[in-house]
Amino acid sequence: MPQKQASQEPRFLYLSELLGAKVRDAAGRPLGRVSDAVVATSETYPPVEAIVVRRGGERVQLPWTAIRARRAGQLEVDATAAQAFQPASAADRIRLVEEILDQQIVDVEGAKVVRVNDLHFLSVKGALRLVHVDVGFRGLVRRMGWERAVDGAVRLVRPQARYLEADQLLSWKLVQPLSSAPGKVRIDVAQRMLADLHPSDLAEIMEDLDRQQRTVLFDRLDVETAAEALEEASPEVTTQLLEGVSPEKAADILEEMAPDEAADVLAELPGETRRELLEAMERPEAHEVRQLLEYHPRSAGGLMTTDLVELRRDTTAAEALAEVRRRADELPILHEIFVTTGAGRLEGICTLKDLVSAEPADLVGKLMREVPATVVPEAELRDLAEAASKYNMVSVPVVDEAGELKGIVTVDDILSEVLGER
Amino acid sequence: MSAELAGGAARPRRQPWRNLMVFLAVVGPGIITANVDNDAGGITTYSLAGAQYGHALLWTLVPITIALVVVQEMSARMGVMTGKGLADLIRENYGVKVTFWIMVALLVADVGNTIAEFSGVAASIQIFGVPPWISVPITAVAVWILVLKGTYRQVEKVFLVACLFYVAYPVSAILAHPDWGTVLRATVTPSFQASGGYVAMLVGVVGTTIAPWMQFYLQSAVVEKGIKPEHYGHSRLDVIVGCIITDVVAFFIIAACAATVFKAGVRVETADQAAMALGPLAGKYASWLFAFGLFNASFFAATILPLATSYYICEAFGWESGIDRKWGEAKQFYSLYTLIVALGAAVVLIPHLPLLRIMLLSQVVNGMLLPFILIFMLLLINKEKLMGPHRNGPWFNGVAWLTTVVMIVLTAWLVVTGLRDLVTGA
Repeated sequence: MPQKQASQEPRFLYLSELLGAKVRDAAGRPLGRVSDAVVATSETYPPVEAIVVRRGGERVQLPWTAIRARRAGQLEVDATAAQAFQPASAADRIRLVEEILDQQIVDVEGAKVVRVNDLHFLSVKGALRLVHVDVGFRGLVRRMGWERAVDGAVRLVRPQARYLEADQLLSWKLVQPLSSAPGKVRIDVAQRMLADLHPSDLAEIMEDLDRQQRTVLFDRLDVETAAEALEEASPEVTTQLLEGVSPEKAADILEEMAPDEAADVLAELPGETRRELLEAMERPEAHEVRQLLEYHPRSAGGLMTTDLVELRRDTTAAEALAEVRRRADELPILHEIFVTTGAGRLEGICTLKDLVSAEPADLVGKLMREVPATVVPEAELRDLAEAASKYNMVSVPVVDEAGELKGIVTVDDILSEVLGER
Repeated sequence: MSAELAGGAARPRRQPWRNLMVFLAVVGPGIITANVDNDAGGITTYSLAGAQYGHALLWTLVPITIALVVVQEMSARMGVMTGKGLADLIRENYGVKVTFWIMVALLVADVGNTIAEFSGVAASIQIFGVPPWISVPITAVAVWILVLKGTYRQVEKVFLVACLFYVAYPVSAILAHPDWGTVLRATVTPSFQASGGYVAMLVGVVGTTIAPWMQFYLQSAVVEKGIKPEHYGHSRLDVIVGCIITDVVAFFIIAACAATVFKAGVRVETADQAAMALGPLAGKYASWLFAFGLFNASFFAATILPLATSYYICEAFGWESGIDRKWGEAKQFYSLYTLIVALGAAVVLIPHLPLLRIMLLSQVVNGMLLPFILIFMLLLINKEKLMGPHRNGPWFNGVAWLTTVVMIVLTAWLVVTGLRDLVTGA
């Protein structure tokens, strides 16, 4: 720590430089050593509110405002100011050493889980604000107390080494701490950014976390984001996450998911839980999922989704396009629409291209073409993959013996099954 | 109607097999870890115990199995309940400095052990007439490719198959025709000799059982496998079965050597000498099987040790790790792995290197580290915040602490005599 504090502000300071500092009162009597720091998380860059001083086995919180002077490895505290201090309640406060340092956190921007090696403060007008999280190798070296020696050695060998500049500091804004109990820490920025992550990144992050952290993170997601992430996560993680939230929330999430994905998830759950969740779900969604659950999970019936656009012959191209537009948001893949009779028998398909290039008044029945291939619900992965690749189909229709359209298997589902097999 | 539909097709069909399927899905970490315990060093110790003291040390296998189960069960339980590796937990609860030094010590000990594994490969293959400069590089490359190109599931399958090859020992023991009545009686009746050599061997046999790296490996493997708390019962069974298999193998090694080498009064000092000595006494097949067993064990451990080391070092420092990742995604992990394998293989090939002293040193470091690891484990597993209702109960704690104290006393002895031998150059 530099000698002349006040004149050099604002300046940066690492938590590791603060820890272990000797604390004395104005008369020079030792009070102990700094063992932790408490920040209030209500602000984007949380200010240090108190330091925890340990003397023997005893730990006392002293307010940051009571610190009169700060020199290398030493803090001088105004004892009277310290005495009046009442440590605030635990809500919206974090102890940095206990809850953040050395723990895993989510780097929202980099979409990955990292370990906290050090914390970086900015000292402005006597207040200390947490601004960065250090996740780099240099932070590790500093924690070991070897920064000077290693820096010197590196400078001697390679003065241009990237090591000397490349501190891996993440803005506190871009970090989502997970060690605290749910609801205790609220960092709006990071939370909003979590929802902006690509669902597969989010799923990957969740796989990297341990069970408790996963549940904490998942609990903070809104229903829609949670559903998207679940669709990408592995079955083990998915079931564990659903079992960790309330049945109502789990049901909401399942409704939000594509029926085939929801059925896959439910198939993994114990019978009791599955029944309970199906009861809690809205009727039409639950009905679709139940039907899907009857098929073997690896057959066409098990892989198919019932999310598709189904129209009659006498619909016009304009009406068809309107329907497509209406449903575009909820459908994962929208490339063909399916033409069926009133009884649900599949008659033909229309691609989006057909619809767009047709006259608005043209009837779908006239535009439609023959279905190149269909499969039965019992069909295996191989049949599906063959149909998709032979006829360049983006989705393969699943049709029962009566010719009734049951659903479609989309090519991305086929692909992920094929890759999963390896 | 809803219940009948929801209960549906899947459930009744799965029910009768479910338990077995879950067990088979969970099996792996426990059995693999315990088997790797019978590595080149372990087999050497057991062979010598049988060759030099006959049946006199067989009884120690019973308490050894109990100690192994107690310690391994704690590792597996922590892995399943917290979803974190042991290095993770130590770092998060005791900070970076402690973790750093533990990792340094583990790295030193594990490189030393890996050297021992490669010299086991060299010695066992030499019995079949292949020189080390051919067998060691080929093994090293095979080991390296397996982990670099494989996925976790594939690698685990290879490991499980390697576990099957330990059957070489029971078979060679049967070929050696021991008097099974005497062998079984010796297993259940503790005996003691007051000689210094006997005590040293006893400590060696116990000391080879619980190594620091095993606890880290088991816990990480359980976590990577993603075993859920509700399946913990199966995981515990995996651990117990693994520990029993391990000591059954040890039992047959001691029995085979006791029935032949000890009875004939041949003097042997290494595991490959024991394998060769079996030839004229029990037939060349017994001898070959014994040598093959040593090769399998050494190969197996030469894969797992570097792997385990890379796992927990990356865990501790927050680097990406895992067999399922690609090189670019987990640079530190694969670099470490490559380095340890290369170093282990290269050192064996250097002529005139004091191999025995290097192995002795790695054993001493292992021994010095073990108390810290066991104490950390006990402290962690009793933390309410981490383990909740799955903390140790009072009885289990009693047994675990007792095991720990006994292990510490015995390994302290090993370290002291090891250091003495290192200094005097014995």
